[in-house]
Amino acid sequence: MGCFFSKKSKRKSPEKEERAPTTTTVETTTTSNAVPLGNNAEEAPKQYSWDRREKVDPKDYMLTGLKDVTVGRLPGKLNGQQFVIQECENCNIYVFDHSATITIDDCVNCRIVLGPVKGSVFFRDCKDIKCVVACQQFRTRDCKKMEVFLCCATQPIIESSTGMKFGCFQYYYPDLAFHFKDAGLSIFNNNWSNIHDFTPVSGENNWGLLPEDSAVLDFVPVPDPESEFKSVRVLGDPERSIVPLTKGGRRKDSEESCLFVFFAGEYTTANARKLIDEATAKGFVLIQTKEVSMRPEDVKRVFQNNADDLTEWITKGPVIALELNGDGVVEACKNITSEVFSGTKVFVSENKNTSSRDVDNFFNFADMQMGL
Amino acid sequence: MTPFFGLLSVIEKLKGSTEQEVRIVLLGLDNAGKTTLLKSLASEDVNTITPTQGFNIKSVASHGMKLNVWDIGGQRKIRPFWKKYLENTDLLIYVIDSADKKRFEETGLELSELIDEENLKGVPLLIFANKQDLATASPASEIAEGLNLHTYRDREWQIQACSAVSGEGVQDGMNWICNNIVNKKK
Repeated sequence: MGCFFSKKSKRKSPEKEERAPTTTTVETTTTSNAVPLGNNAEEAPKQYSWDRREKVDPKDYMLTGLKDVTVGRLPGKLNGQQFVIQECENCNIYVFDHSATITIDDCVNCRIVLGPVKGSVFFRDCKDIKCVVACQQFRTRDCKKMEVFLCCATQPIIESSTGMKFGCFQYYYPDLAFHFKDAGLSIFNNNWSNIHDFTPVSGENNWGLLPEDSAVLDFVPVPDPESEFKSVRVLGDPERSIVPLTKGGRRKDSEESCLFVFFAGEYTTANARKLIDEATAKGFVLIQTKEVSMRPEDVKRVFQNNADDLTEWITKGPVIALELNGDGVVEACKNITSEVFSGTKVFVSENKNTSSRDVDNFFNFADMQMGL
Repeated sequence: MTPFFGLLSVIEKLKGSTEQEVRIVLLGLDNAGKTTLLKSLASEDVNTITPTQGFNIKSVASHGMKLNVWDIGGQRKIRPFWKKYLENTDLLIYVIDSADKKRFEETGLELSELIDEENLKGVPLLIFANKQDLATASPASEIAEGLNLHTYRDREWQIQACSAVSGEGVQDGMNWICNNIVNKKK
């Protein structure tokens, strides 16, 4: 086979003779069954679903060594599979489908859109990248100068990377909402602004936030109208973004916030979006959102005095919580509730003196729940 | 995966032996799937898992016995800390992302350095060739060859193909553990 991974010559203990990669290939050259999978197992190797399924060509799931081109995958062409991007330069890469996991290695000066990824997105040894990414985990190592419009379900991490800038995911294409569902990602769970750096440098910042008014299409242009992607109608308008724009960790303009919670039902997502539209039209700002399941024992701690009649509502499914900010936001939310959501079960902060506590109680609970 | 399997099956098997506390350490490169595996073994939800910054630990107690599984973060920067967790380890589980060919050499190197650790002398080794569900995954046999596992003569070892997100193959690995765990109280 010849794919010996460890470069033994680099190892520190050359006196351990039995590790030298020379001789013993006799019993391993014939079929894969001849390779021992253990040194005491007697049973024949088992068959698993990956042994029985139709073999795919890994090359169909890889983009390697491309330069100066527009390339990627149209909706339906990846369908939840893994994708690998490597050694590309000056490319516009559009992955307009959901996937299992994506690694991006040794790419320079590329603009990349990654449709919803069920698992992790991992950039390694990349430089000068502008991208739009939606994923469960976001990781980088040895990267330099990246601008990322991000929707990430967990805390993003960087390692040995500098010049990293982050903004809130801002993107639309017609199938994108379905792709979020297919990838098991909630548009309301987005930790784009609190990055963990494994290699912080004293006196410097390896990462920061993009300017708030950054327009995604200035960074990652729409696909070339001559390309195979001309059929995908991309929009960069903040109001059309599938993921609601949140202020995240940026400094709030007002001291007054309001907690608004929708309980599970048929129109919960549509209702949450309607609230966001109504509130932002009035000049209020969306700070953060969360979609999370609650248990009866969480209700009292989170909702305190209002807990009693809410317990039955949390059993129907996950709740969607939003923090809105601005002077007069609590009153405005109460008005919106009576005007727009009179038939819907919601929780709204009672008054501006207790609303900050509502927000903290809820989002601290949500962070713990999601292991963040 | 029902609660009887996973971690509990290990402790059920050890019931009646003289040992009180068993320590398993879960290592591997970052993004290998260690935490997903740990949560899968504990029958917990694996849909929202955050990159491990320090370590995670799961304990299962039954019949006067305690089984502790330590899942340690695998970023390059924090691998020097791995050795601090190795004292009194009864079994090492090493997790490999079978679909990350770019890092096969790196993971091989880390494993070979671990095997040299004094605290892991003679300690049984289970390697999970994880992420077999992915399109570019290499089969366990190829990974076994690349790692030169057949040259390990000083301990019991096994490589097990699995998909931690679905659980497939995981219980087979745990069954091997049940049959090979050796308490190493020094």
